[in-house]
Amino acid sequence: MNKLRLGFFKYSCCMGCSYFFAYVHKQVPEVLASFDFVFIKLLSRKGTPEGPFDIALVEGAITEAWQVDELKMIREQSKKLFAIGSCAVIGGIPAIKATMPELEVEKRVYKNLSSIHSIKPHAVDTYVKVDGYIRGCPPAERDLYEALTAVLTGRKPDFPEYSVCIECKLKGNTCILIAENMPCMGPVTNAGCGALCPSMNRACYSCFGPMKQTNAPALAKKFKAMGISRDDVIRKFTEFGADTIEFRKAVETYED
Amino acid sequence: MTGERTFQKFKRLISKKAFLLWLDSLKKDYKLIGPRYYRGNQAVFKEVDSSKELFMEYESAMLSPGKLFLYKPQEELFRFTFNETSNPPSPPFSKRGMGGFSSKKITVDEIKPDMAKQVIVGVHPCDVNAILYLDRTFLGAFKDPHYEARRKNTLIISLNCTHVGGNCFCSSVGAGPFLHSVGGYDVLLTDFESEYLVEIKSREAEELFGLEGRGAGRDEMRFKAEKEKAMQGKFRKTLNVSGLDNIFAENMEHPVWQQTAEEKCLSCSNCVMVCPTCFCYDLRDEMSMNLKTVTRYRCFDACLDIRFAEVHGGNFRQSRAARLRQFVAHKLDQTNQYGVFGTVGCGRCITWCPTGIDLTEIAEELRTKN
Amino acid sequence: MSHELSTMNPLKPLRAKVDDVKIEAEGVKTYTLSTEFPFLAEPGQFNMIGYPGVGEAPISLSAIVNDGSFKHTIKSVGRVTDFLKDFKKGDELFFRGPYGRSWPVKKAEKKDVLIIAGGVGLAPLRPVIQIVLKRREAFGEVSLIYGARNEKNMLFMDEFKIWEKDISLYITVDEVSDVSKSPHPPFTKGGRGGINIGLVTDLIDGMKIKPERAIAFVCGPEIMMRFICRGLIMHGMSQSSLYVSLERRMKCGIAQCGHCQHSGLFVCQDGPVFSYKEVCGLPDGVL
Repeated sequence: MNKLRLGFFKYSCCMGCSYFFAYVHKQVPEVLASFDFVFIKLLSRKGTPEGPFDIALVEGAITEAWQVDELKMIREQSKKLFAIGSCAVIGGIPAIKATMPELEVEKRVYKNLSSIHSIKPHAVDTYVKVDGYIRGCPPAERDLYEALTAVLTGRKPDFPEYSVCIECKLKGNTCILIAENMPCMGPVTNAGCGALCPSMNRACYSCFGPMKQTNAPALAKKFKAMGISRDDVIRKFTEFGADTIEFRKAVETYED
Repeated sequence: MTGERTFQKFKRLISKKAFLLWLDSLKKDYKLIGPRYYRGNQAVFKEVDSSKELFMEYESAMLSPGKLFLYKPQEELFRFTFNETSNPPSPPFSKRGMGGFSSKKITVDEIKPDMAKQVIVGVHPCDVNAILYLDRTFLGAFKDPHYEARRKNTLIISLNCTHVGGNCFCSSVGAGPFLHSVGGYDVLLTDFESEYLVEIKSREAEELFGLEGRGAGRDEMRFKAEKEKAMQGKFRKTLNVSGLDNIFAENMEHPVWQQTAEEKCLSCSNCVMVCPTCFCYDLRDEMSMNLKTVTRYRCFDACLDIRFAEVHGGNFRQSRAARLRQFVAHKLDQTNQYGVFGTVGCGRCITWCPTGIDLTEIAEELRTKN
Repeated sequence: MSHELSTMNPLKPLRAKVDDVKIEAEGVKTYTLSTEFPFLAEPGQFNMIGYPGVGEAPISLSAIVNDGSFKHTIKSVGRVTDFLKDFKKGDELFFRGPYGRSWPVKKAEKKDVLIIAGGVGLAPLRPVIQIVLKRREAFGEVSLIYGARNEKNMLFMDEFKIWEKDISLYITVDEVSDVSKSPHPPFTKGGRGGINIGLVTDLIDGMKIKPERAIAFVCGPEIMMRFICRGLIMHGMSQSSLYVSLERRMKCGIAQCGHCQHSGLFVCQDGPVFSYKEVCGLPDGVL
């Protein structure tokens, strides 16, 4: 039986998802057994970015106009397209600048703006239809396998859409937000990581981005009551989720 | 040990030291589980190596022993194996050019229940009542073999409370601070300073219990009743339960739902996860990357989760207010389900809510602004 | 003290063989299934149908044959049902059941029976129709009032001709799509026996119902059932003579997983068929 054709595309990001996909996760040989890596920029033999693809994985936020055109072309050539990693799913780190005017950001970084053509950073699904989200930074292993096995077996994938708190309690952790007064973002963050940070007695910093329809302003209010400064609260909600409606609402509570 | 026996065999006063030594002697045949110190007056129920690790004076533990050691947070139920040997792996899925979907090529293995014997010590009355509540779900018309096995192989040593927490309201719903349930436990302890008043409930506990101690008579029982009365006076939180069903029925659109959902509720599901009576679960399938096995497991699910009541083309509880109302109503109303309140008054959902939503306050608001 | 366990896991799925697949309407197929075990069910009950790796979904029985085979009419919409759409004759799937409370067919004997359905809501009512046809003399006037978006979305159209001999058929659509391209014979416009355009509720408003001897079985989208039940009450029928079948998310089917809870009721166990009296006005529903 033929292997499925897989393309891995990278836009504005650290390429950590490619690295994770090609080397780090636990079942690299099993993935190789079922997929033909037609294109992965990270590998020394990149391959050719020519379709058709049975599955396309896209990492990184879209921050330049040419990326939009290429992304749309990939979408046309791919049966299934998944956004992988926080940058592609919600905007992630590249979207920190989403709260500022584009020119202002450019001026802060570059002396000569003549060759800079950046656009407002957005998630992949702003421009194309996405078949699923493999959230996280780095992406969740379980969600990656769910996406890949779903494509292999012809079913719709199922990704978690609940809070980190559920995973945290399933692990039996005592809540660090209440018991230790740590500013944990778990209650408003989408699950998938297996409550990694809270299990290590660290506050969640929402690298998986907001849970659907979460109530970020209420948690921001709680943080404020815990004595966390305005800037710190804003930073918490803009580190990964600056381009999301959910977290923007929390930031807006400070904007009058 | 499910409390079908109602005989109260004997009551004795045993020194705490002797009792703890007896617990250690059980370790030969039983896993010993009890409260371990976490911080402040909080404990965590865990397996312990020795009774020395126990923190019997604890006020509360975030996760109830019933939902850790009887009804497990996560439990594997079935394993499906695709008996197809080829490389690359080709499961019996027709979309990849195979010859159709055949379950003959699939073996179904039922995961056998864990029959290990365990003793859980220091279970507060609210949590015993919560276990009785879980019994209604998992030992009803359809019995869950995993829950049943653990229930039958678990010795529950309950401990009447010595502290009243700030969010406890068990006395308002008759679930504490002292235990009065007909069953659900094997041994009941009451703290008598240097001794425990030990009341043996089940035959199994009676057979295991080798300590003589001092027989407890009428005086001791009177002393116990006085202790209970003193405890009753310490409650800071109360819930007026009279006519709650009517109050809920009339106030389904009360502004308190919308307002709490808007200003406080994060729909993070912490309340559900720490609730000792919340029984909902999700069944999930996980397929291995080589496509050869699928494990079907269950884990706690929560009605605060947006997808909980979602069907194709709609969601019966799309708004956060509706989901919050479902949780609160399931605890304080909806007694038509099992004939008892869904709350045991442990106050965990209040303590562990990140934004401090208090269901007793909501009930009060419904009552006063009716 | 070794305790014997009384049960095998009620969540364990059983194998069923697909004996036949029939296309009913756009995206809807009827699967005839059979098992090695005797299968007994009542009209209105449901099975959890699934496949390893995909999960399970509650699906009503659309026919119960006494020889042990049964049918499910499935619209491909969700994770499980979308996966099932590729199943062919000879394939095998997994199921468990039957679960839930059935339509009170016994109570309907000697009465005028109104069978009212919308869209795929006709599927769980088909076993009722089959019982009526088999023992026609046991019932009074029997009418089927059926509405769908258009005739492409209509189920069991090829059976209408047989049904029509014994029961009155009232059919309505929201819109008529291109009739000439329809694989089914086009309806003539008109009252009973033909095709109407409009809502099911409009048909009911115009009907003559003897409320004291009528009983209604209703299944369809919840908002439609709301207006039908209210319409029938306007005709003088009592709340307890109206029966509805509810749809909820379900994972277990055995009153444990809690997903289908509807104000203290487990839809999987206390329903899916309820008398309107039991469920009208409950929060999080529209009935």
